[in-house]
Amino acid sequence: MKYIDYKQLNPFQKFAYNFTNFFKKLPGRVAAFFKAIGRFFVRLFTGIGKGVANYVTRFIKGDWTVKLSYVVFGFGNMMKGQIIKGLLFLATEVAYIYFMISFGFVYLSKFGTLGTVETQQVKDGPFTKTVFGDNSMLILLYSVLTIVVTLVVFFIYIANTKSAYKLQQLKSEGKHIMNFKEEMKDFLDGKFHITMLSLPVLLIAIFTILPMIFMVLIAFTNYDKQHMPPGTLFTWVGLDNFASLVDITSGAKKGVTFLELTKWTVVWAIFATFTNYILGMIVALMINKKGIKLKSLWRTLFVITIAVPQFVSLLLMNQMLQTNGAINILLSELTGQEVAIQFLNSTPLMARVTVIIINCWVGIPYTILSASGVLMNIPADLYESARIDGAGPVKQFTKITLPYMLFVTGPALITQFVGNINNFNVIYLLTGGGPSTENFYQAGYTDILVTWLFKLTMNQQDYGLAAAIGILVFIVCATLSLITFNMSKSAKDEEAFS
Amino acid sequence: MIKSYKARRVIANTLIYIILAVLGIIWISPLVYMVLHSFRAEGLATVPYLIPREYSFQNYIDLFVNTGTLNFPRWYLNTFIVACCARVISTLSVLMVSYAFSRLRFKSRKKFINVGMILGMFPGFMTMIAIYYLLKAMGLSQTLVALVICYSAGAGLGFQISKGFFDTIPRALDEAATVDGATKNQIFWKIILPMSKPIIVYTILTSFIGPWTDFILCKLIMGDNRDNYTVAIGLQLMTSLEFKSDYFKQFLAGSVLVAVPITLLFLKLQNYYVEGVTAGGVKG
Amino acid sequence: MKKVIAGVLAVMMTAAAFAGCGASNTGSSATEAQSSGTASNGAVDASMFGEEDNIKLKVWGPDKSVDLLKQQCDAFIALYPEKKITIDVVAQGENDAGTQLLNDASTAADVFGIPSDQINKLVNAKVLQEVAFADDVKANNSQGCVEAATIDGTLYAYPETADNGYYLVYDKSVIKEGDEAKFETILEDCKTAGKKFIMSAGDGFYACMFTFTGGCKTDGLEADGATQKFTDYKEDEVIATMQAFSKLFHDYSGTFQSLEVSNISSGFASGTCGAGIDGTWDATANESALGDNYGAAKLPTINVNGEDKQIISMFGYKYIGVNAASKFPRTAQILANYLTGEECQTQRADKLGWGPSNTKVAESDTVKNSATITAILAQAENSVPQADLADQFWDPMGNLGNQLIAEKTDPSDAAYMKQLLKDTLSNIQDV
Repeated sequence: MKYIDYKQLNPFQKFAYNFTNFFKKLPGRVAAFFKAIGRFFVRLFTGIGKGVANYVTRFIKGDWTVKLSYVVFGFGNMMKGQIIKGLLFLATEVAYIYFMISFGFVYLSKFGTLGTVETQQVKDGPFTKTVFGDNSMLILLYSVLTIVVTLVVFFIYIANTKSAYKLQQLKSEGKHIMNFKEEMKDFLDGKFHITMLSLPVLLIAIFTILPMIFMVLIAFTNYDKQHMPPGTLFTWVGLDNFASLVDITSGAKKGVTFLELTKWTVVWAIFATFTNYILGMIVALMINKKGIKLKSLWRTLFVITIAVPQFVSLLLMNQMLQTNGAINILLSELTGQEVAIQFLNSTPLMARVTVIIINCWVGIPYTILSASGVLMNIPADLYESARIDGAGPVKQFTKITLPYMLFVTGPALITQFVGNINNFNVIYLLTGGGPSTENFYQAGYTDILVTWLFKLTMNQQDYGLAAAIGILVFIVCATLSLITFNMSKSAKDEEAFS
Repeated sequence: MIKSYKARRVIANTLIYIILAVLGIIWISPLVYMVLHSFRAEGLATVPYLIPREYSFQNYIDLFVNTGTLNFPRWYLNTFIVACCARVISTLSVLMVSYAFSRLRFKSRKKFINVGMILGMFPGFMTMIAIYYLLKAMGLSQTLVALVICYSAGAGLGFQISKGFFDTIPRALDEAATVDGATKNQIFWKIILPMSKPIIVYTILTSFIGPWTDFILCKLIMGDNRDNYTVAIGLQLMTSLEFKSDYFKQFLAGSVLVAVPITLLFLKLQNYYVEGVTAGGVKG
Repeated sequence: MKKVIAGVLAVMMTAAAFAGCGASNTGSSATEAQSSGTASNGAVDASMFGEEDNIKLKVWGPDKSVDLLKQQCDAFIALYPEKKITIDVVAQGENDAGTQLLNDASTAADVFGIPSDQINKLVNAKVLQEVAFADDVKANNSQGCVEAATIDGTLYAYPETADNGYYLVYDKSVIKEGDEAKFETILEDCKTAGKKFIMSAGDGFYACMFTFTGGCKTDGLEADGATQKFTDYKEDEVIATMQAFSKLFHDYSGTFQSLEVSNISSGFASGTCGAGIDGTWDATANESALGDNYGAAKLPTINVNGEDKQIISMFGYKYIGVNAASKFPRTAQILANYLTGEECQTQRADKLGWGPSNTKVAESDTVKNSATITAILAQAENSVPQADLADQFWDPMGNLGNQLIAEKTDPSDAAYMKQLLKDTLSNIQDV
């Protein structure tokens, strides 16, 4: 359709056009995503090549102060009048050297082996004294820390050479060189993004990214209960943990468990997402229907459940679902005979259905909240033009309200799907993974991958295996989210409202 | 024709009222059960009937008087302090990140957005032990400061919804202000923030709830330092094998006390929450 | 008076120590430990502390024992006036203690209470210091609890209690006198009175009784340190026993309920429960719920093909361990030894109702007057020690319990039982 044709459609038709288009383009976008990954790597390598070339060029073309900056941070800045900035560069270098000598180097030098000195127990008369050797876990963690710090310092180093060279150019062109105060001012305007992002990024780097790299590396070690620091060392084992996950030959229980739990995790995520979405939507539509009174009361009834911490409400639910729990008591009183249904620990099917139903109780209020908001936001002119076209209330609903809701909230479905793959609370607090089975390794029938991962780390100290599972789960979730995000409206028309 | 249409609408509406009432009861009844039994005077952990026979405030009084073993008031205060501090830092970092991503244009902005979005999806259990040792290296283990840091450090990653909200504010405003000589810093504080009440409230609300519900990371960080526990671990402790028989009713009472302030806050700020989540969510 | 005695003792022991070994070297100080070893209150010669002074120790104990533990630590400090000792007693559940020790031994307590099944894990991670007063401990404590903490001939923790197990608790007004000896009569009495019998049959800790009673017991780990060993058993006998259990559960469905154990005390309080299988941790709750009607006994017998078989249970011990990372390893050992000595165990039995592992205390009047401790010590004789268990022991056993009580299971189906047993054992053994 040409742009001119599109412009002539009424809002209603425009909407229908956009709606169908969204789904038509979906497969193309998935393909584009993988192409984008390929392009990313191409750009990455060409970028590195260019960087190295620039680095060398700057050195050759630079004067002696620039050349000295390649060894002494900030020298070029200092010689050209930017004393404070130069000193800051220099301070970084000094601090880094101190850090490496006093801390970083000790750990980094053992990074290859993760430690070799075993813990010794020395007899001291009747007593025993323990002389602790290397702690593989700390070696790994602090090595990662050192590497991250080194990378940051490396970027500062490159910035330092660039800055020195740029000053030389400015000077030779006779342009103004900013003093420290002016540069600081620039951080509130031209470079405001650096001001805004530095603190959050620092926090995220230390408490999210660094531990994450640590965890990824753990997946390639044999860190488990036979290799527990501080007493025993663990070391690199390559892809062994991943191999044991995909090994599904008979008798290899880890592989079978992984396969079965993956299946159930997907089923769970689909059901949990769609039941919440559809049912929540229906309730929201009922609450927001014209002519229904006490809207805020109805909404409040549901929304109140969000405010109770999940571990409380789910523990309570667990209690209520026991054979002597409130639900069975209620059923007994209603039917007049003793009812003792085992909701959570009889058959896998029963437990799984129960979990999905209880998850509705947990999740529907959230859908109601966001759907109510969306319903209130449907542009009035859509209805207007529909009425002019002679559409009745039913038609208005099926042709406007419903597609609009689906269209607007649809992309969020993937976010919820990913959220449900990682929905630890509901499973762990409600069933603890039960009913138990002899067929799985350290898992029950309702365990999803994250709860299994939790059990493996907390109860079994099987860190290596758990980390491998974590990585696989992450890859799936990240791919799904990146595709939808880059496909959805917000990435494309960020500036639609400007 | 009109008459039957009206009649149909009345029937439809009545049906909806009935369904809503039934669903409302289903949703609210576990909470009613919790509140009723928190006042239960008789029995131990469970009783074989639905409605308690005798009521008293004893469970609540015990929570605040018998603080020898389980010091609930202290934990409550801890949680409150941590939640307040964490929410200030979280809100600030969420707003800063989302403003930068939404209104500012800089190199590799898209890459930052993509990375930021997927980072939060890593299962966190494994990283907890690393976080513990990092905090220990900073000399913060077993302190409330450590908790504040943990609960607010990753907050910046939750930028999507508020970024979506900022995206809806017309850029013409920024441009007009720039023409008048305002810096980006001034635009953020004087123009964007005053317009962002719903999203600020939304962020404050969500970040305030976190500390009240986490019982895993907090336990690892606090170890044996019970003075610095939060209510979540305290309540979890009350349901452990050693305490359950004696403390389950107090657990219910404690849960009510945790739920009440959050519920009140939630009800009061509900409209902002809806506005925030939809404005941001429609796009995000 | 006490101080005088302690002083005299100390002088005597110093003399003995000097007589025993003039110049102390590593070879002879092993004898020093035993010769200067312990009086009934666990006091040792001050020279045993070595260089250690200005000692600061942290002790972990479960909540219910903290007050008593504080008194005992104060008494310990008073024994050694010439040393400056401060002891910080901190409440910490015994299961959490192990987890925290593995997470970070350097901030964990120097001396701490742990259950028997964690010892293996802690020894593997080398965070548990071996016992210095091993000979004394072996001489004074029951054999079972010493064995359960011994790995490759080395004793790794000081036995504190022999009561981490379960037994029968019942309402005397429901279960007639003499009926508590047989499972069948207990269930019948409960049914007649319209009350429940509660046990946690889906929990491996309890469910293992279904195979143990038939003769299929665990016997530590294989040499690889991971695979569970089982004793030789007659398969028919085990299967017949499993069938007998299953049949009882089905015959008395409605009366028999598999629930988490805290429901037992609740059930007694609300008058719905007639009897149950519960442990010492709920003893006070059960006792106060039933008052004079409180009854406790060892687990009953079950009739298997006409023969009454005593139910064999899992039985755990609790220990006091010493942190390998302790800055004061000698003092920590001496304190741990003191805390598990005869005097402290008597106080614990007296004030907390904990079953002693010390053989002398087990025969004292305090113990004989307590229905709970008597019951638990009687059950200890019909039990398998909870030690050296493979990590995947509990889930398959719990599953076996769940299958026996499941409605769809047919108790008379011997082939099914055979398969279930086979699957369960192979799942415990294979990884």
